[in-house]
Amino acid sequence: MRLYEYEGKEIFKKCGIAVPQGALVRTGEEAQQAAIKIDREVVIKSQILTGGRGKAGGIKIAKTADDAKKIAQEMLGMELKGCKVNSLLVEEKLDIANEMYMGITVDDKNGEPTAIVSAEGGVEIEEVAKRNPEKIASSSINPLYGMRVYEAVNLIRQIGLTGKTLISTSKILCRLYDVFASYDARIAEINPLVITNEGEMVAGDSRCEIDDHSLFRHPEWQDLRIQRIDNLWEREGVKGGVNYVGLEGNIAVMANGAGLTMSLLDTIEDEGGRPACFLDTGGGLSKERMKNGVGLLLRKAKSDPRIKVILLMVRMMVSPPDAVAEGIIEATKEVKVKTPIIAIMRGRELYQKRAQELLKGSEVNLYSDIGEGTREAIRIAR
Amino acid sequence: MAIFVDKDTNVLVQGITGRLGALQTKLMLDYGTKIVAGVTPGKGGQTLFDIPIYDSVQEAINEHRIDASVIYVPASFVQDAAFEAIDAGVAFMVIITDWVPLHDELKIKAYARRSTSYIGPNTPGIIVPGQTSLGMISGSAVIPGEIAVISRSGSLSDEIAAHLSEQGIGQSVVIGLGGDPVVGLRILDVLRLLKEDEPTKGVVIVGEIGGTMEEEAAEYIQEQFDKPVIAFIAGRSAPPGKAMGHAGAIIMGERGTSKSKISAFKAAGVPVARTLQEIPALASKMLETARS
Repeated sequence: MRLYEYEGKEIFKKCGIAVPQGALVRTGEEAQQAAIKIDREVVIKSQILTGGRGKAGGIKIAKTADDAKKIAQEMLGMELKGCKVNSLLVEEKLDIANEMYMGITVDDKNGEPTAIVSAEGGVEIEEVAKRNPEKIASSSINPLYGMRVYEAVNLIRQIGLTGKTLISTSKILCRLYDVFASYDARIAEINPLVITNEGEMVAGDSRCEIDDHSLFRHPEWQDLRIQRIDNLWEREGVKGGVNYVGLEGNIAVMANGAGLTMSLLDTIEDEGGRPACFLDTGGGLSKERMKNGVGLLLRKAKSDPRIKVILLMVRMMVSPPDAVAEGIIEATKEVKVKTPIIAIMRGRELYQKRAQELLKGSEVNLYSDIGEGTREAIRIAR
Repeated sequence: MAIFVDKDTNVLVQGITGRLGALQTKLMLDYGTKIVAGVTPGKGGQTLFDIPIYDSVQEAINEHRIDASVIYVPASFVQDAAFEAIDAGVAFMVIITDWVPLHDELKIKAYARRSTSYIGPNTPGIIVPGQTSLGMISGSAVIPGEIAVISRSGSLSDEIAAHLSEQGIGQSVVIGLGGDPVVGLRILDVLRLLKEDEPTKGVVIVGEIGGTMEEEAAEYIQEQFDKPVIAFIAGRSAPPGKAMGHAGAIIMGERGTSKSKISAFKAAGVPVARTLQEIPALASKMLETARS
C-alpha cells in the first residue's frame, strides 16, 4: 500500500527526519491560511499516488497567500495522470543549496534490505544511475541488526561527502532505515533530501510503500488500503480476498494461483483471444473465495457488455471439489447473467469427477483440457 | 538421495493441528512421507493420525531424528516457527504459509543463512515421485522419472507436472520455490545440486515475470550447467507492473520482464515454451537429446 507524500512525511517527522513546515489542505481558504501561517513563499503540491507530478503540473509555487488560494482552487479537483486531486500539501519553499537522494528497499538478488544513496537527487535519479553509476552507492543491511551509523558513514563516504555533512546524512540514513523497518515498508525513499543554504537537511519529498502482508501489525492503515484503491472492481476483489486486474479484451478470466492465471492469459493470447481481466483467487481455494471471484466476474459481465464469455480454470490440489463447485453454484444463483461460463477443472481424477457431478445441470460448461476450453471461450467471444 | 529429501527423510510438521496442517498431514502420510512428529505449542502429549505432538521443535528433536520440517502455522507466527526450527538445528524447511510479512521473510532469510536451506514462504512444497512429499503438490499429478521441475508458482507447478505425467514423462523431483519476493532457495541454488543429481537427466524451469532469478539461472546454465534445460515464463501477456520507486528501478534496471527472461534463456541455449501446453513436447525432445 502506497502512502501519500504527507503521510510519509508524518512518519519521517516521528522518526526524527526533518520535513518542511507545512499543512495538508482541502480548500483554497485552507491553503491561504496555511500560507499566512508559514509567512513566506510556499510550494503547493498535489497529493496523488503516482510519480511525475511536477512535470504534469501538480506542483506550483505561490509568492503570496492570495496566490496560494487561487492556485489551490485551480488544482483541487483537477485530474492528474489519471488521479483526481483531492488534497494539497502547502509547504515553505526551501532555499536549496544541494539535493541528494537516499532510499531503502529490498534487493531481489540476495533478499536483503539495501540502502542506495546518491549525491545527485531529483527526478532524474535513474538517469544518473545509468549515466554516472559512480555517483550512486549501495550496500546491504542485515535485517537482524538494522543499520549502524558506521555502515551509513562507510556508504555515504563513497559518494564523496565529508565532515559534518557526512555525519548528519549518515544519521538520517539510519533513521530512514528505522522508518523502513518499523513501518514494514517495501520501500522508504527521500528524493530529494534537500541541503539548505543554512546547512539544514530536510526531506523534500517522501515515497513510502507499506507491505500489505504486514497490515495486521498496522491497524491504522488496514481500512485505508481498501478505500485507497480507485478501481471499483479491484477494490471489490481485495474485499473478497482475490486479486483483480482489468484488461482490454472480452474474455473474463479467473484461475487459482498467480502463475496459473498468467499462463492461462498467455494461452488465450496465443490462440488469438483477448482477456478482459486477470483474476487470481490464490492457489488454495475456499468456497468463499471461489464464490467471491466468480461473483465479481458475473457482476462485471452484467455491467460491461464488452464481456462475451467467462472462463474459469481451477487446479484442485488440496481445494476440495465440493468447495469449488458450491462456490460457483452460489455465485451463479446470486447474480443472474446470460454470459456463458466455461470452467476448466483440473486435478486428481476423483476431484474432477466429483466437481463434474456437482455442476451437472448448472449453466457451467465443463472442460478438462486447457486448449479445448480456451478455444471454446474464444469461439464464443467472436 | 534425491535433492534435499527422499523416502528416508524424517519429517516434522509445525502447525500440525491447524486446519490446513492436519488436512495435508493426512495427504502426505497417504503418499508415504515419513512424518515422525508434529509441533503445536500447548498440545504436547496428544497425537494426530498416531503421530506424537510436541510443544516445541527442541522437544521433538530430543525424541526423534528430524531431517526436515514443513511449516503450516499462520502467517503472523511463521517467523517464530522458522527461527525455532533453525535454532533446533533443522537442516531443511518447507514454509507453506502465504501472506507472510516481507520483513519477517527478510529476517528468516538472514537467520537461516549459515545453517538451514528452505523453500518458501508461499510454496506448494517439494515432491520426489514415488518417495516422499513435503507440502501440497498432488501425488496424483506426478510419476517417477528423469525430469526435475523447478517452479516459482504453486498451482502452476502441479499443473505442469500433470501435463508431463499425462504424456508419460516422469519427474525426478518437483520443487516449488515460493511466489513471494523474498524466498529461501533460488533457481540457481537448485540447479547447483541438480548438476550432481544422478536421477535427473533434464530440467524444466517454470519462471514468471518479476525478480531476477531466471536471468541469474540462465547465466549459470550458460557457463556451468551441462544437463539440458527448457523453460517457460508465465506472464508474457501480462501488463507491465508498476516500478517500486526509484530504488526499485535502479536495482532492477531492464531485468524482471518476460522479454528479459526469455532472451536470457535463449542466449543460454535454453528452449522456451510459449504456453504451458507446449512444455511436454519440448521436454520429451530434451530427453531424447539427453539420451543420445
